[in-house]
Amino acid sequence: MTTVPLEKVRPLGKARLSHTAVFWIGFCAIMALLIVAPLVLPEFWRRFLTEILIWGLLAMSSDLLIGYTGMISFGHSAFFGLGMYGAAGALIAHSPPNLWLALFFGLAGAAGAALFVAFFSTRLRDIYFAITTLIFSQIFYVIIFTWTPVTGGENGLIFSRPHLWLPFLYDARFTSTTMHWFVLAVVAASYLFLRRITQSPFGMVLQSIRENEARTRAIGYAVERYKMVSVMFSGLFAGLAGVLYALQNQFAAPDFVYFLTSGDTVIYNVMGGIGTLVGPIVGAGFFQLVRDLLSRFFGDQFPYLIPLGMIFIVMIIFLPQGLLGFARRWLNK
Amino acid sequence: MGAQTSAVQGSPVRDRGAAAAPILRTELLTVRFGGLAALSGINFQIARNAVHAIIGPNGAGKSTFFNCLTGVLRSTSGRIIFDGEDITGLPSNVISQKGIARSYQITNIMPNATVLENVRIAAQSRRHGWNMVSHHGAFADINAKAEAALQSVGLLSKAEELASNLSHGEQRNLEIGIALATEPKLLCLDEPTAGMSQAETDETKELVQRIAGDPAKDLSILIVEHDMQVVMELAQRITVLNYGAILAEGTPEEIQRNPKVLEVYLKT
Repeated sequence: MTTVPLEKVRPLGKARLSHTAVFWIGFCAIMALLIVAPLVLPEFWRRFLTEILIWGLLAMSSDLLIGYTGMISFGHSAFFGLGMYGAAGALIAHSPPNLWLALFFGLAGAAGAALFVAFFSTRLRDIYFAITTLIFSQIFYVIIFTWTPVTGGENGLIFSRPHLWLPFLYDARFTSTTMHWFVLAVVAASYLFLRRITQSPFGMVLQSIRENEARTRAIGYAVERYKMVSVMFSGLFAGLAGVLYALQNQFAAPDFVYFLTSGDTVIYNVMGGIGTLVGPIVGAGFFQLVRDLLSRFFGDQFPYLIPLGMIFIVMIIFLPQGLLGFARRWLNK
Repeated sequence: MGAQTSAVQGSPVRDRGAAAAPILRTELLTVRFGGLAALSGINFQIARNAVHAIIGPNGAGKSTFFNCLTGVLRSTSGRIIFDGEDITGLPSNVISQKGIARSYQITNIMPNATVLENVRIAAQSRRHGWNMVSHHGAFADINAKAEAALQSVGLLSKAEELASNLSHGEQRNLEIGIALATEPKLLCLDEPTAGMSQAETDETKELVQRIAGDPAKDLSILIVEHDMQVVMELAQRITVLNYGAILAEGTPEEIQRNPKVLEVYLKT
């Protein structure tokens, strides 16, 4: 029997403990800031911050594919949109509108789309996967755009907000502050969940697929199945972001299912730093903030995409790993 | 050298009937690429716990044969029987689970992961692969397996280094370590000393001898190698491939004296 020297393991464990402590202190500090934020920010910025969190969740969900599994999805608008329309359907069909039903139907819609995409596109790689996801999302877009009796077509759907209802605990109308807290809770929980997944043995398999797919198969992993589950998880969390968006804005529109949303999602990832989970949230915040500031200073008619695109190019040249890319190994430890 | 006796000895753990059977056998294995027969009708076997080498000039079909055994390529016809089981046409992940591991001719590791992570991912492929709730470093059995594999290839002291920071020779050995971490019954090494300095080659040679002689591993080794000195010292049996067919087979002494082999190697 081969004996393993134990003293090699111990300092490792100790190092991780302090790393864990630093991580949680940082996490709590940022959470505290985000919890307090709606109490001090004016109404506009309160809503703005909430929306950044929602876009951040969408970006984070696609990071599981882009940053960890190494599959670039240009179809996240489909999952986001199905989440949004699923929630919309539940809120319209059931009276009074119920928060948890909206959540359930939104997630079911996204899961259905994700299952479809996962089944057909995970056997493809690289650009072929990207193109296939793009095509699938456009199929969903066309269906939603043209099926007017159900989806409202071009006009989308408008509905009223459910109460923030926690069974036996709490029941009240959403205010913009409680909405923010609710979104924050969902996004933070999603982050912790995704972080746990990416650090688990399963997550290591995903990263191994990203690094070297053939090798991963050669050491005994059924790569396709891992990819499918990865797409499913990613789709579910993108759907969750869609549900939150529907709750926040009380409408569902086909624009959000259009592939431009998917493109923005990839840009958030690249700007913030792929493979970090939090990076994409920062990227989403940065993108939204720059866009808002540009239209604020130069007016609504200003073609903000031109300077934003130039900023993006400069970032890719000088910050190829994104805003938080430098912390990648540390965050994933 | 007593090569023939050690090839027949087999593992003491197994019963005599199983020990006599070869670990791997191919029957009329043929691979065609269009009109070209890369392998034609190969009947081949590896004895249990032996080190068996395949040599041959470039284009002889060595890599094709390797790819066939490990499920990367599908054979056009013929059968592959591993440990008494027909594994013809199975995908490479299933073949890995059955107990055949391979190292690659071109270094094929995860450069952005640490040495330990590289090996651990291979070690956890038998268990815990679908676990989503625990930290990947939290499994004592996997860590022990991974560290044992690193020790076998002499990289335990570099466990926490990024794989990309290793020297070429060390990366080649890590390559073997990854294959070993899946605890195979048959280890296929594709030119393990390619691009190595003489000192590194000697080290790798010793490494292969060490793992081949380890009674705890119950391991058979199939090795493709260009360095004749390495082959002659390591292998108990050698098969020479030429134009997709077996030209000769025998002990290193027999192969060195075989006129057909000499002709092929002198010509090229």
